[in-house]
Amino acid sequence: MIRSLLLAASLLVAAPTVAQVRPPLVLAAASLQESMNAAAAAWAKAGHPRPVISFAASSALARQVEAGGDADLFVSADQEWMDALAAKRLIVPASRVTFLGNRLVVIAAKDNPVTIPVRPPAALAKVLTAGPLAMADSPVPAGRYAEAALRALGVWQAVAPKVVRGDSVRAALTLVERGAAPLGIVYATDAKASQTVRIAGVFPAASHPAITYPVARLATSRNPEAEAFRRFLISAPGKAIFVRYGFTAR
Amino acid sequence: MSFEIRVDKQLGEASIALDLTAGDGLTVLFGPSGIGKTSVLNMVAGLLRPDRGRIAVAGRVLFDTDAGIDLAPERRRAGYVFQEPRLFPHRRVRANLLYGAADDSGLAAAVAMLGIGHLLDRWPRTLSGGEARRVAIGRALLRDPAFLLLDEPLSSLDRARRGEIMDAILRVRDAAGLPILMVTHDPDEAERLGTRIVRID
Amino acid sequence: MLSAEEWTIVALSLKVGGVALAAMLPLAFALAWVLARAHFPGKLLLDAIVHLPLVVPPVVTGWALLLAFGPNGPIGGVLERWFGISVLFRWTGAAIAAGIMALPLMVRAMRLSIEAVDRRLESAARTLGAGPGRVFWSLTLPLSLPGVLAGAVLGFARSIGEFGATITFVSNVPGQTQTLPLAIYSALQQPGAEATVWRLSAMSVALSLVALVASEMLTRRVRRGLHVL
Repeated sequence: MIRSLLLAASLLVAAPTVAQVRPPLVLAAASLQESMNAAAAAWAKAGHPRPVISFAASSALARQVEAGGDADLFVSADQEWMDALAAKRLIVPASRVTFLGNRLVVIAAKDNPVTIPVRPPAALAKVLTAGPLAMADSPVPAGRYAEAALRALGVWQAVAPKVVRGDSVRAALTLVERGAAPLGIVYATDAKASQTVRIAGVFPAASHPAITYPVARLATSRNPEAEAFRRFLISAPGKAIFVRYGFTAR
Repeated sequence: MSFEIRVDKQLGEASIALDLTAGDGLTVLFGPSGIGKTSVLNMVAGLLRPDRGRIAVAGRVLFDTDAGIDLAPERRRAGYVFQEPRLFPHRRVRANLLYGAADDSGLAAAVAMLGIGHLLDRWPRTLSGGEARRVAIGRALLRDPAFLLLDEPLSSLDRARRGEIMDAILRVRDAAGLPILMVTHDPDEAERLGTRIVRID
Repeated sequence: MLSAEEWTIVALSLKVGGVALAAMLPLAFALAWVLARAHFPGKLLLDAIVHLPLVVPPVVTGWALLLAFGPNGPIGGVLERWFGISVLFRWTGAAIAAGIMALPLMVRAMRLSIEAVDRRLESAARTLGAGPGRVFWSLTLPLSLPGVLAGAVLGFARSIGEFGATITFVSNVPGQTQTLPLAIYSALQQPGAEATVWRLSAMSVALSLVALVASEMLTRRVRRGLHVL
């Protein structure tokens, strides 16, 4: 324990001097936490400074960029926030690439064998309203996609009273993991990351807007490392890392 | 003249008007409780500002509406013994005694006169009423005052203590040679201690 | 126990909280003094404004800080142009957020302890020859100190627990703004990181307990030590 303490103290003290080449600051949606960390680790292993990544809601991150924060890359969980930054000329347009996709799924506890019928609406509504249905809050992209999918399938009116909102998609996942809700709507990647839930059904891709993840370099970025890391993310080996976590490569 | 006090003051619904000239020795302000005797002392000390008037003690003008004089309390050189001892709780007795003093040269004499030598290292909250009162008197004396103000110095003391304090005041009156203005509602105190008595009503 | 990385998070929390405390202490005391002793029109309004961070959702406070201290904002713009410093994504910004959230608690406790100082002692000191300056340093400050310290410790405890304003204002940057609460939030985002959540949460509770106990002990000293005759 003393060793850990000393190591921590030296990390804090040494941090300013170690980074002669400053690592890039990446703002990434919270849903990318594990996969992005893995990509950063792989990049560091190849001899580059390990990128520093701030995970939070895409909305909070976008607002920080709008307020003038000097970060290098922005990876959003939907196009809308990237569009907002693009409209304000805060990103380098040529660097914007949509490189990942995701699926929207219904999850249940691992030992719950329920299957989700996509049709007819009445049957779907019945299954989904057996108990509370967890999903992310409506400002969060995952929450919007879930509502859109339920509307498209004609069950939103019936299901809405049973909906329980978590402040993020991971919060919704936790509700199902802990048994507070028997079912939840999350991304396929979230379901894959969890040991204690299973995918009970997949929403048809046509029932909701495409879930896509754009990456772009921010206009204020001066760090050459940033562009190098971005190229890595959109490269085949980079995308492969994300595919391992359940994303689809685009 | 030691005390020349001419003041008018509106205090809430009541008003005070006083015109007093007194010579050396101990002047008693005598009257029933609540008519503003303490307020008079506060005005002389500079803690309360009269609406108009003039206050001069031992030849020094402390306050004069016409001349635009209003000395701050710390410059009036008053030795004020309040109705409650008002000792500083975070300092021991010795530090309390020396708070207003330039140095400790007068400490031994004051301590002997008041009989408080054995209390020097005590904390104020451990003192009895009489002991605290004596320390307060010592503290006021040690700041080398030009005059003394005593507010009901014998109130809430038992008979034995009253005797002690009265003796101490008499010693101060006779030895220190300072003009003293004392407030009391007790006629015996007034008789025993006062060089002159001014009745207030 | 905690890993080296986790100890770094704790150390960052203590650093952010410590700097926030040091920076806010004089301001909190000045505000407490004004609210305790001064009389002026608008005093009630000042009191209300000081208490805003206590009652407004932390996210709103964070957003307001973002607007003000972001490089495009009024204060942030000045910092950027004149000093070349930006507090966004930096621990300095986290310290600002922590300090703002702690301020109302500190002012409240300090104000109470200043108000508790017996004015009669102060007037006695004046008659003994002490000017207002000496009265403050020799009397008012020492007598109000235990309460002032209790307020400071309480503010410190609040600031190391600060989350909503921090993440909205300066984001969740490991090594810079990822204090204990934000690290717990990040761990909660990871399925399977329960052990991390437990460890960090236990540390957070332990720090808060120590601070609260210290604050209470100091407050008791106030009640014991100010026995005025």
